[in-house]
Amino acid sequence: MNYSLIIVEITAVLIGLGVLMTDLWISPAARKGLGYAAAVAVGCLLAFATGSLAPQHGLGFRDSFVVDDLARFFKAFFLFGAIVVILMTVEFSSRIASGLSEFFALVIFALVGMLFAASANDLVLLFVSLELITVTFYILTSFQRNRLASLEAGVKYLILGAVASAFMVFGIALIFGSANSTNFRVIAAHQTELATSPVFLLGLLLVLAGLGFKIAAFPFQAWAPDVYQGSPAPATAFLAVGSKAAGFVLLIRLLTQAVPQITAEWSRLLVVMSAATIIYGSLCAIPQRNLKRLMGYSSIANAGYLLLGIVAMSRSGSTAILFYLGGYFFTVLAAFTAMSALAEHIETDEIAGLAGLGRRSPFLAATLTLSLVSLAGIPPMVGFFGKVLLLRSVFESAPGRPDLYLLLGIAVIGVVISLYYYFGVIRSIYWGGSTPNLAPIRTSLGTKVALGTCIAGMVFLGIAPNGYLRIAETAIGGIDSAAGRLKSPALKKVSAHEAH
Amino acid sequence: MEHAAVLHAVESGSKIQDLAWMILVAPLVMAVGTTLFVPRDRTLAAVFNIGGVILSFCLSFVLFCVFGGGSAQCTPFEWLPIAGLDVHIGLHIDPLASLMLLVVTGVASLVMIYSIGYMHDDRSYPRFFASLSLFVFSMLGIVLADNFVMLFIFWELVGISSYLLIGFWYDRPAAADASKKAFLTNRIGDFGFMLGILMVWSALGTVDFAVAKAKLAENPALLGSMAGIAGLLIFMGAMGKSAQFPLHVWLPDAMEGPTPVSALIHAATMVAAGIYMLCRVFFLYTAAPGWPGPLSMLGDLSAATLISLVGAVTALLAALIAVQQNDIKRILAFSTLSQLGLMVMAVGLGAKAANPSAAMFHLVTHAFFKAMLFLGAGSVIHACHHEQDIWKMGGLKAKMPITFWTFLIGTAALAGLPPFSGFYSKDEIFALALETNPILFGVGVLVSVLTTFYMSRLVLVAFFGAARSESADHAHESPGSMKWPLVVLAIPSLMVAWLPLGPFLSESFDPAHPVHLGDIFFGPFNHNPIAAFFGFGAALFGFSLAYSLYWKAAKDPLPTQLGLLSKVMRNRFYFDEIYETIFISLHNLFSHIADWIDRWVISGLMVRGVSGLVNLSGRALRLVQTGNIQSYTFFFTVGVLLVVLLARK
Repeated sequence: MNYSLIIVEITAVLIGLGVLMTDLWISPAARKGLGYAAAVAVGCLLAFATGSLAPQHGLGFRDSFVVDDLARFFKAFFLFGAIVVILMTVEFSSRIASGLSEFFALVIFALVGMLFAASANDLVLLFVSLELITVTFYILTSFQRNRLASLEAGVKYLILGAVASAFMVFGIALIFGSANSTNFRVIAAHQTELATSPVFLLGLLLVLAGLGFKIAAFPFQAWAPDVYQGSPAPATAFLAVGSKAAGFVLLIRLLTQAVPQITAEWSRLLVVMSAATIIYGSLCAIPQRNLKRLMGYSSIANAGYLLLGIVAMSRSGSTAILFYLGGYFFTVLAAFTAMSALAEHIETDEIAGLAGLGRRSPFLAATLTLSLVSLAGIPPMVGFFGKVLLLRSVFESAPGRPDLYLLLGIAVIGVVISLYYYFGVIRSIYWGGSTPNLAPIRTSLGTKVALGTCIAGMVFLGIAPNGYLRIAETAIGGIDSAAGRLKSPALKKVSAHEAH
Repeated sequence: MEHAAVLHAVESGSKIQDLAWMILVAPLVMAVGTTLFVPRDRTLAAVFNIGGVILSFCLSFVLFCVFGGGSAQCTPFEWLPIAGLDVHIGLHIDPLASLMLLVVTGVASLVMIYSIGYMHDDRSYPRFFASLSLFVFSMLGIVLADNFVMLFIFWELVGISSYLLIGFWYDRPAAADASKKAFLTNRIGDFGFMLGILMVWSALGTVDFAVAKAKLAENPALLGSMAGIAGLLIFMGAMGKSAQFPLHVWLPDAMEGPTPVSALIHAATMVAAGIYMLCRVFFLYTAAPGWPGPLSMLGDLSAATLISLVGAVTALLAALIAVQQNDIKRILAFSTLSQLGLMVMAVGLGAKAANPSAAMFHLVTHAFFKAMLFLGAGSVIHACHHEQDIWKMGGLKAKMPITFWTFLIGTAALAGLPPFSGFYSKDEIFALALETNPILFGVGVLVSVLTTFYMSRLVLVAFFGAARSESADHAHESPGSMKWPLVVLAIPSLMVAWLPLGPFLSESFDPAHPVHLGDIFFGPFNHNPIAAFFGFGAALFGFSLAYSLYWKAAKDPLPTQLGLLSKVMRNRFYFDEIYETIFISLHNLFSHIADWIDRWVISGLMVRGVSGLVNLSGRALRLVQTGNIQSYTFFFTVGVLLVVLLARK
């Protein structure tokens, strides 16, 4: 057992426990400070995890835990996301009646789940890390105990999450029954024989359903709008960014690494899922009046766009997913941070409540506008470039596949529809009806820094995407060489294990 | 010291020319930042935007010092790599560009400082500065562009910012109409410009200036029979932006914008963009002339000759109109038109000498003194409580001494009196005309007489004599922020021509043909005495004519003396009315047809139909989302079945 492989995860757990313990000794007034301290601690961990001292490559714990470029990419992604969410929570703290420190700790525990998910190389670890994420989110979504909507969101997420987990664990059992292993590498080695086993295929489909629930893909999307609407804004943001990305890293590992042959045969299923998710998210977003609910549908539509990268079944497709997630990260965090900062001043989550924001706080209005513009995919924001990459990856795989051309058409229609509802929000920010309250809204320095970073990220990645794109390409290149081509020493060990 | 350090940086390999990116982007950052983040903070908006432009100016100065007469290419990045059309965003610095950078950022800085005072009471103060910054960004883009597509993009951006600024007081119908007129008239020119670019691209296979130039240098007949048409179409762009006949009608109306805008955009820089662009693509006009079949009767007549004719017509027409205008800004506007005509004429004539630097030289001197004249006019208007009729002014000399003296310097420069800068640059043009086309030389001298005449009329009426109205009587000198830019601009108006700009510029075109300039003061009299004496004599004659008519005149004697001609001149030769009857009524007919199609077919059937359908399906789908957990679980299970079903082969 090589424990140094999970040093990042262990440290994250210790930070979470540290936050809980420190809370016992400090005054309630100092809890915001604790949040800043936690953010700094996670920041240090991020610096360590991206540095050269952290484990670079390796396989351990009976091959269930893998560290490669892809895993390290997502670990950095999740750590960064957690920092912004913690800062956002500090801003939001006035709306959390009690247990602020627990909120920080839970965010960090969810982060641990995501860190493990990034390295999962085995269905069991996949399941356990997903459960760690989901269970933490049950609490986070229902954290505003005095708000009925928040409790309702928590219960809905709990019940539907349990159903999804049930299907998933059933699927894992079927896979284990037919493949005699839950390890991705073993499955990858035997996928040709396994492709003929109906039990294995059924099991895989059930696991796919479970992951589809995590990313809110059609037809497993029903929970998203209700939960997004009811949860506290920081929890929603983490759900949108972290949980969705965790789902996608597992999808990439499972579908393109463990069972690429079977996935290729299922392309019709994936095409339909992707198209239906885009159309469903876009169409349902149109009549929405609640901003967070709108973001829920937007998140569904975005899951559809991200699925395009899986449909492409190519390296450029997976790279595009990573790039899009990075852009989505900045965009969504900017939007939700702005919404958290607004929560104190605007009572309602309704879009109409944003009227006059352009005059009350030009900065928050501009931030929301820029992130919506990026979500709508308008250059020079990063959303545009991400969508271009995803569409291009499908286009590259499209020759000879009319269904992919159809899918491209649907994706473009989805983008056009999305312009309508995103710009509806912008319209109400700047040209909304009359508002009695025109008091200026002040934002704290922490929020300004977080928002400034997000805006800079959105604009920079849109204008100069090459550096980040290369990082994403490296991360995807890593899984290709790890897919059993026996290039690195770590992989020789795999084959030894298989022989055994 | 600093200079040496910068030079050292170049030698050590770091690319100093990449500073040009910063010159270009700084105003944009300020414009966007002001609009998004401080749309109401007056002080911050002014400080940011003026700071941004001054930063650009300082960096331009550094580049000017570093590169001197040389040229450099900034690291470009690929923007639109399509097979056969490789468009990159790259910046090109040569003497032409670095001089223009200095002019644009320098005049813009002064105009923006001036605006602190002039626009002080305006409620949209930050918007004004942001729009000016946007304009500076666009203009710098034109100056630095190294290919046609990029030039065209910034060309359009300049059009937009001009539209925004002319219509700055959008609640005044005249301003709103003027901005529309300017934009639409420019669109006509730009349409031709775009066709010209496409033609050059299809003939040469590149949109890059350097590559195109090299290809044409290798084989001057490469454009073949398209040379003439392509050259004229490209010139159409300049015709719109530089307001050449017959697209000149928008410029006088553009004076509805705030006066600093008139000074910066509609006198010094934007209207000069056309001249600059012609100089930038000058290699097209030195190519062998050629016309397609139906136009073959034009024979050896090159596009450049036609261009010089258009310029001469514009110059004469505008000068005639200016003689009978009474609005101080309109007089200056027509004078701008007339001077732009001279520059265009010089570009056209320059084709034979393979060097348009006379036009660029006049552009530079004109930019300074015309900006100063406009700012001076603004100062007068400000002092007289927005009175613009010169016949309601008078006696301002004593009340506004600084404005008067600077205005006088500007007038002397515009009239072409030595040793003011205008004399030298005009002399360049006259000398060129005398060598190449004596008829146009005559037109130039006539324009010069008229120029001195109407400018002297303006000065004599507005500044001398007795005050003719209440507001002129109570006028007083403007505040410091308006006064000092005038004083600063007076220096280059007097002296900029003493610098050896001609040889400096000719580096950009053809190092083998240096222009004869540089002997200060009496140079023009030595190298081409006839041209110089004619220029000088024209100025004197024009002034004495004006003096005899307008010294202490209570009202304009010309209308009675000239009768009908005066009326025609006052009404600008009825161009607006003619365009109104022909084009606008034709246009209205078309627009009624288009409106019907749009209203019923496109909007009704297609747009409303589609959007209604989408909206309806959105509302229907929303019904699925009941919020009921049991039905959600049911959907989930059905979803799993669906997935299994779809996965079956």
